Amino acid sequence: MLWQLAINGIVAGCAFALIAMGLALIYNVAKFFHFAHGVIFTIGAYLTFLIANWLELPLLASISIAITATALIGCSLELGVFSPLRRKGNSPLVLLLASLGIYIILQNLISAVFGDDIKIIRTGAVNEGIAFLGARVTSIQVCIILTSLVVLAAVLVILKGTRMGRAMRAVSNDPELARVCGIDSDRVVLWAFAIGSMLAGIAGILVALDVDMTPTMGMNALMMGVVAVIIGGNGSIPGVALGALLLGMAQHLGVWRISSQWQDAIAFVILLAFLLFKPEGFMGKKIRKATA
Amino acid sequence: MEYLLHILILIGIYVILSVSLNLITGYTGLLSIAHAAFYGVGAYVAALMALNLHSTFLVNIICAVIVSGLLGALVGIPSLRIRDDYFVIATFAFQVITFSILNNWVSFTGGPMGLPGIPQPTIFGLQVSSHLGFLILIALFCALTLWVTRRIVRSPFGRVLKAIREDEVFAQAAGKNVAAYKIIVFVVGAGMAAMAGVMYAYYISFIDPTSFTVMESIFIISIVIIGGAGSLWGPVVGAVVLVLLPELLRFLGLPSSVAANLRQIIYGGLLVVFMMWRPRGFLGEYAFQSKEARE
Amino acid sequence: MTGSTLGVNGLSKSFDGVRAIADFSCELRDGEILGLIGPNGAGKTTLFNVVTGFIAPEHGQISLKDNEITGLAPYRLANLGIARTFQDLRLIRQLSVLENVLLSFRSQPGERLGNLFFRSERSRQHEALNRQTAIELLEDTGLGDKAGESADDLSYGQQKLLSLVCCLAAEAQVLLLDEPVAGIAPEMIDKILGIIRDLPVKGKSVILIEHNLDAVMQVCDRVIFMDAGAKVSEGTPEEVRNDPKVIEAYID
Repeated sequence: MLWQLAINGIVAGCAFALIAMGLALIYNVAKFFHFAHGVIFTIGAYLTFLIANWLELPLLASISIAITATALIGCSLELGVFSPLRRKGNSPLVLLLASLGIYIILQNLISAVFGDDIKIIRTGAVNEGIAFLGARVTSIQVCIILTSLVVLAAVLVILKGTRMGRAMRAVSNDPELARVCGIDSDRVVLWAFAIGSMLAGIAGILVALDVDMTPTMGMNALMMGVVAVIIGGNGSIPGVALGALLLGMAQHLGVWRISSQWQDAIAFVILLAFLLFKPEGFMGKKIRKATA
Repeated sequence: MEYLLHILILIGIYVILSVSLNLITGYTGLLSIAHAAFYGVGAYVAALMALNLHSTFLVNIICAVIVSGLLGALVGIPSLRIRDDYFVIATFAFQVITFSILNNWVSFTGGPMGLPGIPQPTIFGLQVSSHLGFLILIALFCALTLWVTRRIVRSPFGRVLKAIREDEVFAQAAGKNVAAYKIIVFVVGAGMAAMAGVMYAYYISFIDPTSFTVMESIFIISIVIIGGAGSLWGPVVGAVVLVLLPELLRFLGLPSSVAANLRQIIYGGLLVVFMMWRPRGFLGEYAFQSKEARE
Repeated sequence: MTGSTLGVNGLSKSFDGVRAIADFSCELRDGEILGLIGPNGAGKTTLFNVVTGFIAPEHGQISLKDNEITGLAPYRLANLGIARTFQDLRLIRQLSVLENVLLSFRSQPGERLGNLFFRSERSRQHEALNRQTAIELLEDTGLGDKAGESADDLSYGQQKLLSLVCCLAAEAQVLLLDEPVAGIAPEMIDKILGIIRDLPVKGKSVILIEHNLDAVMQVCDRVIFMDAGAKVSEGTPEEVRNDPKVIEAYID
């Protein structure tokens, strides 16, 4: 029983990790909390639904198209809204508020077009799950775990090994210096949005395949992503992934003792504790408060 | 006519909510999406007391204000230590936790079922039961809220708030106990929001957690921003616009679920539009310029 | 350190392993203007930040008229009679010139919420008095006609003057001025130095950080030369200027 909870926790944690990594990537480079990231998650799921269930294309094709689309949507938001706002010298709060507005618009669009009822993406076979050391794991859940590991590895490789990745780290550490060194920070931010949004889309699709989907699913995903980012440490991608995993585990193992309805509240109490006592999270960079 | 009175009452409630949030966000520069939590706590305290203790309206409202004020102080504490965009996340956390308690502590708050049957308030022997009666009551509380806020913002105290909004370091060096000001402003703002919650509870005579969600907090902050942060009458304009606009949609004859979505799309859209072209809103003074830039 | 207005003893502070202030001691005597000079990164502004409570020292004590004030919060120190300006010129640009000055007065009853509602007459009277004083201060320093304008609309030199006026409004005994004449026109430099020169007459003591050595020579009674967080030389402006250690530090 405990083992089943642990497995559920790992699966949840891996899904959170995908969202959180995307959120952290965007925050580190664009320097604001991109709330609309949560609705990109939802869009990934609903686009797949649209293409697979309504247009009746094969599942894999639907997923591929949906993922590409989420990356493009993320980029258009950056180009259409956030970049112009940054250029006018607006503060991160203004961008956060704009992102909030976008979240509201897009979530309600989905709700208006698709309805608020629970939807499921047609996958064909109903999967009971593979037995694994006494617990059941469905193939989708295995997929979630594997995908998050692959993505974590891929993101780290990109950040450490590619020019664009190194540029991202430079912009994240010191935007002024990066600019002076000739790095085009606008392009870097655009790439961060592309990758980050794609991760959100992938997470949304996987979660929708694992359970189901509603237009408000993104809010919960966003909340968990934010908690994971704070406890893991905003500046560190592995930290954020670790934070997400711990969060998932804490939530699901916590069910053993505390009713599951309190999961959200507990996650946020943990978040507050970290914000107050260890705002840089487990592995992040220090965030100082005002001094002269 | 009843419908018109209902709209005016709603506007009144949102005026109180937005003016009180404006004190915290517009004048002191502390962006908060926890305001629906203060609103909800106020409503629930009054409702629980009215239903269980059968206490009077005045006693209930005083208790609601005090409890909400205490929650306000709690929410204000992180602002002493963490930066403004992380602080927004902290207020988000308080909002979610409060909603969770209202929704899940079924034995105390009734959970998702809410609290029905809140009795009508009796003030100085008069029972308030008609729409007109409630409107008068709400108008009085709006006037109180505006009067208190005006007193504060036009005083040396208000001057310190504006200083904190722009440069806490300067305010500290000028001898101002910035921490105390932040906590006080949260207590006052939360207390006033509680008044709106009490009014809402008595007026609708039924409350449930779905009226006090994150989306509601976001709606209130949108009113403040669109109306104009940091101005006294901005939130009033914002409340009128954002409450009336969706009501106008009714006349388009859309199915109600789509109308609900359209209403939210409109204020989400207005939020984006204003951020892009006029962050200080219609009448505002404060455009959320970053304090961090000056450190 | 009796008889001194402000005393600093054995102050040390490091950031990430780098010693910003290294066992620094000095005293500010009653009614004197003390200059603090040294190359960039010497720790002068950091010293100000420690003395005004914005940074906590790792070692050492600070005393104000023989009372220990180490570790007190900045607003407390400001209320004990210390006022400062900032190297990067802090003002509240969204407020008017007059409001910036009004803000700087200490002990205002109108700043307490209780007084606003229950003793409003007293608050109003105090505010009116402060207003009068503020306008006089502004007129004395030549900013009188700008009182109603936004602080943002002043020229850089006028803004520096305004931040000095704010210190005067504070009625502080100790003024810590961080580069009060850097980057401004000669006429304004003279005006500001003139005001500083008069401060001891009004019973105030000043520590002045400046790179403008002419200004330092003109105005300071004593000078301390600081480098790499430590006091390298101390004495009259002439003595310090001719100190071989100082010359060496500048050549380096």
